Amino acid sequence: MKTKTASEQNNSVSNQHRRGFLQDLGLGFGSVALSSLLQTDTNAGPAVPAIAPRAKNVIWLFMIGGASHMETFDPKPALTKFAGKTIDETPHSGVLKSPYLANERVVAFDPNNGFIRNEIYPLQVGYGPRGESGIEISDWFPHLSECADDLCLVRSMWTEDSNHGAQLQFHTGRHRVDGFFPTIGSWATYGLGSLNENLPQFVVMGTPVADCCGGQECHRANYLGPQFDGVPLDVDSDTPLPYALPPAGVFREEQAGEFELLRQLHQLSSEQFPDDESLRARIRSYELAFRMQTAVPDVVRFNDESELTRRQYGLDQNETKAFGQQMLTARRLVERGVRFVQVYHGSNGGAGQWDSHTGLKANHSKLCRQTDQPIAALLKDLKQRGLLDETLVVWATEFGRTPGAQSSNGRDHHPYGFSVWMAGGGIRGGITHGATDELGFHAVENRHYVTDIHATLLHQLGLDPHKLVVEGRQRLEKDFGHVIHDILA
Amino acid sequence: MSRIILLLIAICFVRSNAVAVDYESEIKPLFEEKCGACHGVLKQEAGLRLDAGSLVRQGSVDGSVLDFEHPRHSRLIERITTTDHDERMPPDGQGNPLSEQQINQLIQWIESGATSPADEPIIASPQEHWAYQRPVKLPLPQVSATSDSTNPIDAWMDAKRQEAGLVPTPQASDDTLLRRIYLDVTGLPPSLTQQEEFFERSSPNRWSELVNELLGDSAYGEKWGRHWMDVWRYSDWDGYKNEVRGSQPHIWHWRDWIVESLNADKGYDVMVAEMLAGDEMAPEDMSTLRATGFLVRNFHKSNRDIWLDATVEHSAKAFLGMTIACARCHDHKYDPISQQEYYNLRAVFEPHRVRTEQLPGQSDTSKQGLPRAYDADLDIETFLYVRGNEKNPDKAHPLEPNVPAIIGTTFQVDAIPLPTVASHPFMRDHVEAEELKLIREELKKAQDAIASHPEEHATPIARQTLATAKAKLRSAELRWAATKAKLDSESTSASLASQAAEAERSFQFQQTLLSVLKQRSAVAAAKESKEADETKKKQAIDAAEKKLAELEKQLVETSVKLTESGNKFTPVGKSYPTASTGRRTALAKWITHPDNPLTARVAINHLWMRHFGEPLVENVFDFGLRSNRPLHHELLDWLAIEFMENQWSMKHIHRLILNSRTYQLASSPEQLDEAVLQRNQSVDPDNQYFWRANVRRLEAEVVRDSLLAVSGSLDRTMGGADIDYQDGEKNNRRSLYFRHAYEKQMQMLVTFDAANPTDCYRRTESIIPQQALALANSPLATDQARLLAQRISAQASDDNSFTNLAFRTTLGRRASDSELSTCNSFLQQQTNLLTNQSSLAPLGVAVTTVQPATDAASRARENLIHVLMNHNDFVTLR
Repeated sequence: MKTKTASEQNNSVSNQHRRGFLQDLGLGFGSVALSSLLQTDTNAGPAVPAIAPRAKNVIWLFMIGGASHMETFDPKPALTKFAGKTIDETPHSGVLKSPYLANERVVAFDPNNGFIRNEIYPLQVGYGPRGESGIEISDWFPHLSECADDLCLVRSMWTEDSNHGAQLQFHTGRHRVDGFFPTIGSWATYGLGSLNENLPQFVVMGTPVADCCGGQECHRANYLGPQFDGVPLDVDSDTPLPYALPPAGVFREEQAGEFELLRQLHQLSSEQFPDDESLRARIRSYELAFRMQTAVPDVVRFNDESELTRRQYGLDQNETKAFGQQMLTARRLVERGVRFVQVYHGSNGGAGQWDSHTGLKANHSKLCRQTDQPIAALLKDLKQRGLLDETLVVWATEFGRTPGAQSSNGRDHHPYGFSVWMAGGGIRGGITHGATDELGFHAVENRHYVTDIHATLLHQLGLDPHKLVVEGRQRLEKDFGHVIHDILA
Repeated sequence: MSRIILLLIAICFVRSNAVAVDYESEIKPLFEEKCGACHGVLKQEAGLRLDAGSLVRQGSVDGSVLDFEHPRHSRLIERITTTDHDERMPPDGQGNPLSEQQINQLIQWIESGATSPADEPIIASPQEHWAYQRPVKLPLPQVSATSDSTNPIDAWMDAKRQEAGLVPTPQASDDTLLRRIYLDVTGLPPSLTQQEEFFERSSPNRWSELVNELLGDSAYGEKWGRHWMDVWRYSDWDGYKNEVRGSQPHIWHWRDWIVESLNADKGYDVMVAEMLAGDEMAPEDMSTLRATGFLVRNFHKSNRDIWLDATVEHSAKAFLGMTIACARCHDHKYDPISQQEYYNLRAVFEPHRVRTEQLPGQSDTSKQGLPRAYDADLDIETFLYVRGNEKNPDKAHPLEPNVPAIIGTTFQVDAIPLPTVASHPFMRDHVEAEELKLIREELKKAQDAIASHPEEHATPIARQTLATAKAKLRSAELRWAATKAKLDSESTSASLASQAAEAERSFQFQQTLLSVLKQRSAVAAAKESKEADETKKKQAIDAAEKKLAELEKQLVETSVKLTESGNKFTPVGKSYPTASTGRRTALAKWITHPDNPLTARVAINHLWMRHFGEPLVENVFDFGLRSNRPLHHELLDWLAIEFMENQWSMKHIHRLILNSRTYQLASSPEQLDEAVLQRNQSVDPDNQYFWRANVRRLEAEVVRDSLLAVSGSLDRTMGGADIDYQDGEKNNRRSLYFRHAYEKQMQMLVTFDAANPTDCYRRTESIIPQQALALANSPLATDQARLLAQRISAQASDDNSFTNLAFRTTLGRRASDSELSTCNSFLQQQTNLLTNQSSLAPLGVAVTTVQPATDAASRARENLIHVLMNHNDFVTLR
């Protein structure tokens, strides 16, 4: 993973210049250095004006288990029309011969799930045109529908894994068979660095993906190193971060005294070892840690939030409280400059709650209820504070669900076509992009593999995915994805 | 140098848009990535090579590809910019077209004369690559007049340094050296006693004596065991509840084998061979079978391709520094390895599977057992996956096991017949004895139950329990006898088999009868129950009666079977193939053959890196064509051959390294004369000549173990089952004994860059605020600080001596005068502060094991120790 080219070795003058510069920025917040260096280091020539950033932060919402595209953001009246018929009996039997079917890859054959279901299952929810734009959103999202004009629905996603390893695939861009790789959040923070050094730059909330389906590798940095791992934040705890506070019984003044002594001793050391870069980095890491101790608990304490705000986020209702707290925290985090906030919804220690093989109607209506108002509150709140322009919000899930029925009232896994949406951060609102076929089976118009979402997000942040490469670690073309230019404002 | 810095620098280079195009950093990598596969040393389409500047200028069979007059019209540029799909390079499917920026870079390079370094190495064929040549042990260079070292490492290093005009730093101070070698070899800091004992030694050979003592300490095997666990991808099992998804429970036996083997200085060649094929080389020896944990670790429940791909990829990376996994979907782009060779190597592993061996004293292998590899499918075929797609195997051409041809030593497969206990593990002595003992105990219990009552009071259930136990014993004894007879000779076993079958049927009848009797009384109990809720009571009765009906039906079936006369009985245990393919033994022999040019070099490089903080060959898992001949290639070769000539003894190499002057140099360049220092830093800022020691951060395990060691709390118990990773704050064992798997990792260790269990050939060394929080706020650090403060307070008369002892114990060095006075005033201020605690604000929440001292002065001392545990020097090797 170490990177050193021959010219660097020969170019000691500029190396030393950079090294000195890095010292002053402090390491550890390595990526602070990366972005700042590019803009500021005169010796490196003009900064690459590759892409002007449109967004500063990302809020990434991930619904674990596979939300049905047909009951959320992609209405398919044909399902109701042909309900009970087999796909072959409809005029759309061609979907079963599509070459796209070959994209499916599985880790292991599952005798129960992951099949194409042939008997058409009718739509379980109504739809209506929303906002001035009139884009159609299901009735299970009454609050989010009020934000329709800010949403860009992407209705033409596809992925490969027909089992829940697709959760990992959505975050790394790679099938589970290929192993573990850095996730989108870690790439973004690796490329950009922090805007607030008192807080971790990549924060994760909600119970993570279970180990069946990628586990913590869905928010880890893998070979980029632990400084780019997503840091789990427990919004409901006195110690929201691991080791965020000293043990019980330690006094604030006592600890301050210790940090002061440590600072003095480190100062003496740095006089003895003026060239020791890691010592300087460590000194700085302690300064930051000390401030982080205060900054992190402050984020999850809502003392300064009004009653109205709390109600808007649904903190006063049992169903919406948990996710509402996370949404409110997400806003507080981006407000403070945290680059990437990843929020999981629906983890259940297994495949995930959205996984509706049976009882889809009861399941999805409940889960939508848990998330609808909090997400809408977040979007409105960001907008009202002028933050939505610079914050890209992504709603995603690992795959959609089958047009056909499973166990009479559910739908199976469906990697061939599904929906996600984006809002803010320079994305055009009130539009839909791409489409599935009449049955909602295949993405047929403007098809997008999951890394196209990554590419678009990185582009809005001002990053060229192709520049995000670490020597010795090969990235495939499919890892980089393609920017969806049609949806950029 | 911190690796983060380098990482960042590298990215800056990639992203910077410097005015002059740099051949080495911009043009050469571009050619390599986009054109290397077809226009390099491996292939020369159209006679064109683009892997060196002079070769680019030379052109193709059709002449020059560069036009210096009109760079844009160079054939090179035209071929990459044309819109004609049949003409455009790289061709479809072989890579993406070059970006506009990349094209402009090439044009700029041609405009500026297409220059490249005159001494750019060019190899005529892949075979010429340095790493594919056998190492050569050149005579040691003349030791210079200025060096007083007779160590061969210094001879090579001194010669190189003199050539470059570099002067090494002086030897590091005694306390620095002592701390360096203790942490390096044992992973534990030197205690106060160990420090004093060393300083008092007068022997002129005290250093080499210490080297031998430390290499003889069992802590050496634990420290270096963890290093090799990184390389060999040690992982405890992962999964959820009873579902094992990766690796295997009890894989810790392999960890213990590693530690023990290192302590016994088992040859590296033997270790490698046993890990790959211990089951074939010593099929009866449980101790050796542990080594195959190397293979077991790759177990993947749901996908055999993931399992075998990992085995192939990492066996090649770990032992050969070969990135053969790149040839899974197509021929290797940079190295002379074909796609077929990837699957040939896969064929070596194709027949193997894992199973768990029963260990004496525990017949339940979920509780205890030995996971090991064995060949299960001797005739299984291996197919190449077309373009790496597992859905498209080339079934017309099954592939033989083989190894990459570029390494030309022999690979010979001979099948290996297995002894009885290897193919019939139940034939190990303890298995029968233990099973029968358990049944006899059951019988005894049943007899005692009857004996304690007069016959007329013994219940029908008790009597039937006894009858069942008797039948069970008889059945088991006969099944054992019949199974063994069958193994000995097929002909004499017929009557034993029919007896065993009869006894088994009889036992099944008795057992079912017992169940019926018990269920009858359960029905009666349900009817007499005092349950007030009639519905509930009825439900309970119905359920009991339903079960009774089922059992009575079974009773009829088993009684009908009593009259049958078949001789089919259940064998006492599972049997496995009576031979092994010998493929893995052949691989092990090929890898550890002295003519294999890679194996010893790769191992030496790993050892070197972990002693010096930097390797000799930059990429420790890729010695392929992209890996330039290292600066210190003579030394690398010398050590590789020395290693093989000394039975691949790792301790021999450690000894050479630790006794070298190069190992003992000071890290701080400030000790050099100003002019010398400036010259050194301008010639070799990255210390490639090892003219000073590298400052290193301790590995995660060493950080945690040091906290426990300095306070005297460390539990030095060795080996045994993996400990729950969540107990790291309260269990005082060494860190390598805690469970470490993909989803099961101790927070403290992760924070300090613990090994990624799926892939860690080299640790990262990050410096992040979470590390500061972990040392400042963990109950572990707080507890140990309090314990240590109590301990040395007992020996310290005043603050001065306390501070001195504190520095020496935690940091292994004396406090400077300014440090002493700073700490003394802290003790006073902190004592004052803590005297009036009612005015202070409590802060924390987590619970500690050790309470703070009640008096202010003692508590201030605890704070001082805690600060020293947070000192940069505590986590640093100077």
